[in-house]
Amino acid sequence: MPDWIIILAVTVGYLLASLLVGLASGGEASKTTEGYVAGDRSLGFVILYFIMGASIFSAFAFLGGPGWAYSRGAAAFYILAYGTVGLVPWYFFGPRIARLGRRRGYVTQAELFADRFQSAGLSGLLAVVSLVGFIPYLMLQMTGAGYVFSVVTGGRMPVWAGALLAYGVVLIYVFRSGVMGVGWTNTFQGIFMMALAWGLGLYLPHRLYGGVGPMFAAIAKAAPKMLEAPGLGADGHPWTWGAYSSAVAISVLGFGVWPHTFMKIYTARSERTLKRTIVWYPTFQMFLVPILFIGFSGVLAFPGVNPADKILPTVVTSIGLPPVVVGLFCAGALAASMSTGDALLHAAASVTIKDLWRPLFRPDLAGGTERRLIQTLVIVIGALAYALAIFAHMSLVALLLLSYGFIAQFFPLLCATFLWPRATRAGAVAGLLAGFVVTVIWNFVPALQWQGIRAGIWGVAANVFVMVAVSLATPPMDEAHVAAFVVGREPAPGSP
Amino acid sequence: MDARPRLMPPGLTRRQRRVYGAVTLFFIIVFFALMWPVYPLFSGIRPVVLGMPFSLVYLVVILAVSFLVLLGLFAWEGRADRRDRS
Repeated sequence: MPDWIIILAVTVGYLLASLLVGLASGGEASKTTEGYVAGDRSLGFVILYFIMGASIFSAFAFLGGPGWAYSRGAAAFYILAYGTVGLVPWYFFGPRIARLGRRRGYVTQAELFADRFQSAGLSGLLAVVSLVGFIPYLMLQMTGAGYVFSVVTGGRMPVWAGALLAYGVVLIYVFRSGVMGVGWTNTFQGIFMMALAWGLGLYLPHRLYGGVGPMFAAIAKAAPKMLEAPGLGADGHPWTWGAYSSAVAISVLGFGVWPHTFMKIYTARSERTLKRTIVWYPTFQMFLVPILFIGFSGVLAFPGVNPADKILPTVVTSIGLPPVVVGLFCAGALAASMSTGDALLHAAASVTIKDLWRPLFRPDLAGGTERRLIQTLVIVIGALAYALAIFAHMSLVALLLLSYGFIAQFFPLLCATFLWPRATRAGAVAGLLAGFVVTVIWNFVPALQWQGIRAGIWGVAANVFVMVAVSLATPPMDEAHVAAFVVGREPAPGSP
Repeated sequence: MDARPRLMPPGLTRRQRRVYGAVTLFFIIVFFALMWPVYPLFSGIRPVVLGMPFSLVYLVVILAVSFLVLLGLFAWEGRADRRDRS
């Protein structure tokens, strides 16, 4: 039997297993919107741990991480750096967010902000920005999945068919099972990804160089700049510290406020469960170390691979591994794509209805109708992203970088929500708009990109300045309302 | 309206305020230690530890220590909760 058929069979077997896990988990939550979007706030530590890990680590980490290490050396370390502190704000804000969600019925991020600042318009604005961020991110995951199938079949299955097959499975289990489907499949996919990353990350340096130490010693001798931070830029010249540091900073700010991960705070069974998940998250993050080893293993052994993101499949298919192992690798790459794609799809549909359609157009929407609309939108958004991924030829990376700059603008809003009672609705909206405008301008005018500092950093600075100035220039919000949100202002238990 | 930001809820003991203050300060230091101007001090290849360049070891150690600090805080809170209940 040809190798490609065995590899394809292993990959399709993984897809079937994902589908079964996703469908089997559907009966665990109630048939309400809260059940579909937040799993009835009943998720335990293990599922939450894998949801957080697997939905954060996408096709970018699995294919792009080794690609960066291969082509840009130590520049790739920034991916490891920002995750170190990215979730820490959740440890302190998370229990408060979960408590407010339980009391006031939130299941999305924008519901929290819209309630704090008493603004349906803010909710709509956040929903639109979230969708602008989600769609290119989802398109990247879809093309990544299609690409895996194309590689394993030696080009016999086109990218569009592979993406259709993988995301057909995702659509079915997200449509039927909502966040419970996302949670259980992410657990399955997360275990798969971690096992594969550690296995390949330690095996490849051993196989090609005799170990991790000899691999780095060989690279240090042949190309020392690869191992000295901040590594190399996309042009092959040394990267600037401004670009490296701002990439870390903007990623830290954006990390915890991506709406599809943020809304998982509401799914936790208890505050202790949420905190435990955040505490243990770095053990998932550590899997980036072997992922980086995979990229470094190709530097001297497989020079000239272009694009660099192909280094992982190139190495795996070039060293004579048994086809079953190659199939497992392909399934791992699919797991990385699908475990992020399903969370994005679920969040995009939920956000569109909960944060845009309901507050602005149909405040009287009944719960059952709302759930059905979210399910319908899962299909519509999935089809739209698929069509754009296959037929539209746009620069996804540029869109994604821009959307990361946009999403990071939510961080000052989060701080103002909980830490600054004087922040007003006008201040919050004006700050966000200023942040978006500055991010767009700085992104598209290269002359403004001093020292390679990311556009989103300037956006955050403008956001904070405008939010403070406009808030101080407008009347404060109702003190009793604000006290329900801001740290240190809660009414004492038993007080009227 | 008293508009001054407060970082901690009321009703904490002096010891609790110290612990939370120290942990918050630790993570602010970590945030800045991951980038310029601190990281350049540790961004070279040597000393090599466990076969890895120091630029990578530095980040792995920060990740591990951050994990242990948060784990310690979580365990400390758990003990305090149990003590309060009993």
